Amino acid sequence: MMTLTSSKDTGRRVRGAPAAAGVKPPRGRAKPSGGTRGQGLVAHVFLLPWMIGMVAVTAGPLIASAVLAFTDYDLLSPPQFIGLDNFVRMAGDERFWAAVRVTLVYVLVSVPLQLGFALFLAVVLDKGLRGLSLYRSAFYLPSLLGGSVAIAILWRQIFGENGLVNHVLGWFGLELGSWLQDPSLALSTLVVLNVWTFGSPMVIFLAGLRQIPEELYEASMIDGAGRVRRFWSITIPLLTPIIFLNLVLQMISAFQAFTQAHVVSGGSGGPLDSTLFYTLYIYQRGFVNFDMGYASAMAWVLLLVIAAATAANFIVSRRWVYYGDE
Amino acid sequence: MAASSLSRAVRHVVLVVFVLLMIYPLLWMLVSSFKPSNLILSQTGLFPAEITLENYADGWDALGSPFSLFLGNSLLIGVGSVIGNLFSCSLTAYALARLNFRMSKVYLALTLMTIMLPFHVLVIPQYILFAELGWINTYIPLLLPKFLATDAVFIFLMVQFIRSLPRELDQAAMIDGAGPFRIFWSVILPLMQPALITTTIFTFIWTWNDYFGPLLYLTRTELYTVPVALKSLVDTETQSGIGTMFAMSLLSLVPIVLFFVFAQRYIIKGIATTGIK
Amino acid sequence: MSDLTRRSFLTWTGMGALSVAALALAGCSPSGSGGDGSIRFAWWGGSDRQRAYLAALDAFTAEHPEIKVAPEFGDYDAYQERMTTQMAARDVPDVFWIPSPAVLTYRDAGLYRDLDGIGGLDLGAFGAEQVETFRLGGELNTLPKSIFSPVVRWNTTFQEEDGVSLPDQLTWDGLAELLVDYSKNNAGGRKGTTYGPYHDMPFESFLRQRGEDLWTEDGRLGASVDGVAAWIDWWEKLRLAGATTSVSEQDGIEPSWAQVGDKVLLTFANSNHIVDDAQAFPDHVFDQRDVPAAEDAAAGYHFTYYSRFAMYSGVPDDRVEAAAALMSFNLNSPELLSLVGLSAGAPPNADLLDAYEPDATPDEQKVIAITREIAGTEQRPRYEAPAGSGSWRDLMIRELEEVTLGQKSVPDAAAAFVEAVEGEIAGA
Repeated sequence: MMTLTSSKDTGRRVRGAPAAAGVKPPRGRAKPSGGTRGQGLVAHVFLLPWMIGMVAVTAGPLIASAVLAFTDYDLLSPPQFIGLDNFVRMAGDERFWAAVRVTLVYVLVSVPLQLGFALFLAVVLDKGLRGLSLYRSAFYLPSLLGGSVAIAILWRQIFGENGLVNHVLGWFGLELGSWLQDPSLALSTLVVLNVWTFGSPMVIFLAGLRQIPEELYEASMIDGAGRVRRFWSITIPLLTPIIFLNLVLQMISAFQAFTQAHVVSGGSGGPLDSTLFYTLYIYQRGFVNFDMGYASAMAWVLLLVIAAATAANFIVSRRWVYYGDE
Repeated sequence: MAASSLSRAVRHVVLVVFVLLMIYPLLWMLVSSFKPSNLILSQTGLFPAEITLENYADGWDALGSPFSLFLGNSLLIGVGSVIGNLFSCSLTAYALARLNFRMSKVYLALTLMTIMLPFHVLVIPQYILFAELGWINTYIPLLLPKFLATDAVFIFLMVQFIRSLPRELDQAAMIDGAGPFRIFWSVILPLMQPALITTTIFTFIWTWNDYFGPLLYLTRTELYTVPVALKSLVDTETQSGIGTMFAMSLLSLVPIVLFFVFAQRYIIKGIATTGIK
Repeated sequence: MSDLTRRSFLTWTGMGALSVAALALAGCSPSGSGGDGSIRFAWWGGSDRQRAYLAALDAFTAEHPEIKVAPEFGDYDAYQERMTTQMAARDVPDVFWIPSPAVLTYRDAGLYRDLDGIGGLDLGAFGAEQVETFRLGGELNTLPKSIFSPVVRWNTTFQEEDGVSLPDQLTWDGLAELLVDYSKNNAGGRKGTTYGPYHDMPFESFLRQRGEDLWTEDGRLGASVDGVAAWIDWWEKLRLAGATTSVSEQDGIEPSWAQVGDKVLLTFANSNHIVDDAQAFPDHVFDQRDVPAAEDAAAGYHFTYYSRFAMYSGVPDDRVEAAAALMSFNLNSPELLSLVGLSAGAPPNADLLDAYEPDATPDEQKVIAITREIAGTEQRPRYEAPAGSGSWRDLMIRELEEVTLGQKSVPDAAAAFVEAVEGEIAGA
């Protein structure tokens, strides 16, 4: 393994053709003598807790919700099978489509912003400055507050009619009302909230940066590569599995964004459904209107959409994500 | 040299200004927690006319039990969850990332699927399951799943980290005669320390902030976790109790901030000091 | 660092196994889920109310040492979320408060136990006629734990400063005129009131004065499109005349009292709210009175809202008497009342209210006064919100948003509201 990290030639490989990074060993050598099937047994020993969890904890509710999607279930009386009615109803439900719009906009805008922000700060806070751990902690603080009840009040304080943001805008002669009560602005405050809590992807990026062998940088420095060049030719390619990971995780979590919208809008998704996130609507149908069949159907539609988006991500990832094990 | 120290100073200034901007809401909250509760929303300036500690004193005992009890409960659940996730997710991730077997892709897909379904439609069947088992008002419904690798996010995270490790490492160990367990234990685990620390941090913080699960499974006040206790401080109908809620929110941030400051140091010491000599 | 990882991983895993085992054992100790024969009692509110009720439950246990009570508490939203889940799992507390939009939903779900003929239930303080008003569809399955009515509550401090007075006979038109006038002429730049068509109780009074019901006996929306439109219209005229705080200023259709309580002369409220709300502004004095009435108001429009509680239908027979004792304690105990006060409403038991009066705070005196005044009025029956109507206030908010943002006319919004509520009820 030392050959990988110490040879000058590695740096060149990474820089030149990242897709082929790492020595691609003859596959046969990587496998134990028993071949593919031989590791099946061992793998299942490792997977024992996961399998128990899957069967005992996860599968039941998962299947239950799948079944409920085809029923009329008010939580009180036994579910009634109604075939595809829930799905048909969705097609004609204005609020459903409002929720779809809000969620898509949110995913498309807030995920890239948050990830860009997180990556940028992770690189800045990676090394080379005193007190970095202090800065990291400070930047992580907002994320610690999470979806706490305090957020609702803080956000009103910042984006309310006499809040901080309007105060600052006032210096430039802009007079706005409460952002949270304006249907064209309310969603943007939740995007800001998401970007503000960029701590989690930042920490993942930091961890990913630490995985990059120092020797690669040394090698390329010997080659005379500058800082910017090193960033694009080593950091970014080697970080791609982690960028991909963050992209998938943040995308999934943005599709499912709930707590912050719930807290900030007081559960209504208002004004005029402008912050009615998909899961918030699921929650309203299930927990407020006792319409759990419909809520389950909506949840499975969401699952299919997220799965498709994730699969697309995985397929596209083959073009830009470089694994050390390939 | 002078130029570089100047640029360093500039970076510090930029960072400090940026930090202040980012944590302004928290500073406002901190200041507000020292204001009399009825002035928080009517006198919103950053410089209070009147300072009081009563929010802290009142909040500490507001629910009939000292707040330290809820901090302790959250700590217990947080630590238990961390242990559970480290144990179960690392085993699962190693198998899915490194071992060759037919179902590995299917399992990974299945795992990812479990995080794609909004939990609001899962929570009721799950509640029924745990209620049938008589586990309401115990920490089992909150902890047991962690030991059974149900937090798919961390499986995925660890899979990605393991996959970014060069295969040559395992192969070298394999040539030395190590089996999968030895390789997992002696090669992979030490090398994935950043991922383990990340998992530790997120598990701890997410369970610390988790609200819905503890709300449903813990109905006795003595068992409450911090978020459930915080929510109980504010009366949604009258908005009273904001001051005590702010005070206790900030107080309960202290343990997780300390935890983060401590834990993030170990992210630094990843591969650079391990594995590769 | 590799040592840290390897060794600590082993120790941590071992510790994990141990701690789970320990917790599992701890989990076997008596829990509140009813297995140990204690009575599960669920209520909602803020921390003050929680503490007060815990103290009251201690008093109850002192009186009945043989009965153990397991308290289950949450704020209003949390309470409903938990209750919904428990209801679906049929793991419901033995005695529980009922959120107003859920009264008939819970009944249709069969959550209530019939209370007729339970020996330990002491309804002696109530007349037979009064008990009749507690019934839902002829059945005595819930009881009022507290009562309140809609009021107009004003800021006496402002009233004196600005020299305004409310006429003895307050009509809707008269009030509107007064509010517009006040907003134009007061020196402090204050508004007459908050934008308040969201308030459900005065809305119900407004409808009853028109001879309509909010909910009908057979479980439909009783409000006509015209009735709803007239209500919204009354508010819109005020808003457009600058007599209310703006939606932006009051932070939503539902006004935030803490933010605008000291910026308006008066607001609509429930008769009990003064107890908590006045505390937010200790420098101001508040007072309250009956809501305005149209000159041609239908007879018997006054009403008393019952905030109800019930016994779960799944309570085993051998615990029914204990649960009944707890319910009786809630209805009749002067000790409980002295601990919890009137912030959640006045007790329906008039004798209890009389006994409490000498200890009442000045704001509570105002609650008592209005409670007695309303009790003396003629009241035609009031019906509870049917299943499926649980989100009617959200539907109202959405239409009001459309109106205030200028996207819908008042009649269109009223028609849309009625259609949406009827749709939800039909779908339930």
